[in-house]
Amino acid sequence: MRLYEFEGKQLFEKFKIPVGERHLAKSPDEVYRIVSGLRYPVVIKSQVLTGGRGKAGGIKTAEGANEARTNAEICFGLTIKGFPVESVLLEPRLDIKKEYYIGVTLDRANYKIVVIASGEGGVDIEETAADNPEKIVRKSLSIEEELFSFDALTIAKKTGIPSPLLKEGAAIIVNLYNLFRKYDAKLVEINPLVLTADDRLIAADARVSLDDDAVFRHPDLADMGIEKRHEEGEMTPREQQAAEWGIPYLDLDGDIGMFPGGAGFGIMGNDFIHYYGGKPANFMDSGGGPSPERIAKMLVLLDENPNVKAIFGARFGGISRCDDFARGVIMFLKDHGLSKSMVMRMTGNMWQEGVRIFEEAKQKDPELFKNIEAHGIETPIEEISKRAVELAKQEGGN
Amino acid sequence: MAILVDKNSKVMVQGITGGAGKFHTERMLAYGTNIVGGSTPGKGGQEVHGKPVFDTVAECVENTGADVSVIFLPARFVKEAAIEAVRAGIRFLVVVPEHIPIHDMLHVRREAVAHGATIIGGNTAGIISPGQANLGIMPDIAFKPGRVGTVSRSGSITYYVADTLTQSGYGETTCVGLGGDPVLGSTFDEILLKFEEDDATKAVVMCGEIGGVYEERATDAIRQMKTPVLAMIGGVYAPPGKRMGHAGAIVEGKMGTAQDKLDALAEAGAHPCKTFSDIPKTLAKLGV
Repeated sequence: MRLYEFEGKQLFEKFKIPVGERHLAKSPDEVYRIVSGLRYPVVIKSQVLTGGRGKAGGIKTAEGANEARTNAEICFGLTIKGFPVESVLLEPRLDIKKEYYIGVTLDRANYKIVVIASGEGGVDIEETAADNPEKIVRKSLSIEEELFSFDALTIAKKTGIPSPLLKEGAAIIVNLYNLFRKYDAKLVEINPLVLTADDRLIAADARVSLDDDAVFRHPDLADMGIEKRHEEGEMTPREQQAAEWGIPYLDLDGDIGMFPGGAGFGIMGNDFIHYYGGKPANFMDSGGGPSPERIAKMLVLLDENPNVKAIFGARFGGISRCDDFARGVIMFLKDHGLSKSMVMRMTGNMWQEGVRIFEEAKQKDPELFKNIEAHGIETPIEEISKRAVELAKQEGGN
Repeated sequence: MAILVDKNSKVMVQGITGGAGKFHTERMLAYGTNIVGGSTPGKGGQEVHGKPVFDTVAECVENTGADVSVIFLPARFVKEAAIEAVRAGIRFLVVVPEHIPIHDMLHVRREAVAHGATIIGGNTAGIISPGQANLGIMPDIAFKPGRVGTVSRSGSITYYVADTLTQSGYGETTCVGLGGDPVLGSTFDEILLKFEEDDATKAVVMCGEIGGVYEERATDAIRQMKTPVLAMIGGVYAPPGKRMGHAGAIVEGKMGTAQDKLDALAEAGAHPCKTFSDIPKTLAKLGV
């Protein structure tokens, strides 16, 4: 779960990382009122859960209250990478002498926490890392390890923080590391850490991403006004609907509705469709052991999607049972009806029973099943993928 | 032969008195898995499907000789349960629950390494050595004893691959689910090297997917191995993943696309497969 800059700075403040004066505003009028009491020039920073806001025009300065309101109006009108700007942070502009980079993140392959620092802070830090790796300082620690001041001081020194400020710099690094551990973070980043003209170190930005699966341990976040939220960008209406139903779902730009089992085959099934010349309209994961109700909802998402020309269904019953799967499909057919063509396959746990339930329902009401081709273990999944591509083409897809 | 579990493994279940624990204990027993008991704090002295329940893992180990454990507990209890297990002498641990806090897994991994234990999961469907032992939540329908090992991040892919091997007559020695959580107890390279030591395993199919760095890390192991490795990677056509800020990019380098991963594995000597039907074709070509 990613935090807004202003929330990240709340956490920074809690850990005694200097963040400087700042005010949150939710409308141009509020901006006007607040800046009237501030020192100019003032910086107006759009608050969005994505990077690249500077390049998107989301950061502006103003020399007076009227200019601040005008510029804030521009910011509030922006949508940056799908995120509409709903608030801005107002800060007296820092007089910058130098910019550093400090980050703490996970090194999953080596099961370590890594502290990263550089004397070349700013937006192009990744290029620095790629082109001049020697300008990046790193230290790996085990999860249970304390980061000591003397180690942090060494890191600070290597980044070129001037001697009189080394102790402050080291404290910022230690505190950032402690914040990372205390709040189950995946990433905390100060970019840039600014050395001001009057020789102070200030965290000019704050990037914090926490582990969604550990938020339950931090009820104080809610007390600070930091609510649990969706990690990624803005969702399409269908993605939102799926999220409300608890179904992992992503819209893609093709025309074959993907109705698979687990996440693993959800990903690989999309490749299969491509191999046979089709394009999936979505990614979806049923989750383990879906109920018939959930299966029916998955189909509703696909059938109501106007981009979908044909549906590809694949169920390998593991923990989930093919008879439940068949019941879910039949529930959907009865309650909703299928307007698209669908080819599907059931195998694994209880597949014969699934096929039997299907055949029985079909005999009773063949009309309901007219758009469905159902297969069992005898047809390889590759054939089902090919057939889905054919069906989509017949329906005028690409 | 097999890796990590076989018919002689003495298996216990942590959380054996819970709904999922009970249900899957019955299934695992029905498969013939040698389940010797389980643990649930405060429920010592009870029985589940005729197997004794202990308050602690240590008591279960002492009384039954358990050396393998399967965890069926809510994610937030996994850290303590896993550390309890490896400290009590469990040498192989299967963590079925998903959404385990990442920092918890870092603690668990460290303890496992310190005690010489192997962990798979979280969010694994489990492990099966066909005809010998089935730990976790995998259906037995896809599996038959044979000569090819599999290791995959995903349960559904494990079923498809095993089904392919079973249908084409190769069968499996052991099928390992690494798990789908962001930080896993074991990596591809560690499991591949265990297959290399198993005489019965004549080839290994590894199935990875887009994201993370675990697949790329397998290249050194593949270079060392005499046993041929077949590689499938899901997500060749997946939309580009979300990135973990600058620090993530600096630490993990360029986020491996599926094609990058396949290329890296092929370069190390693995045999890439696009679809499941490529697997028996490739095995035949290799003379397995």
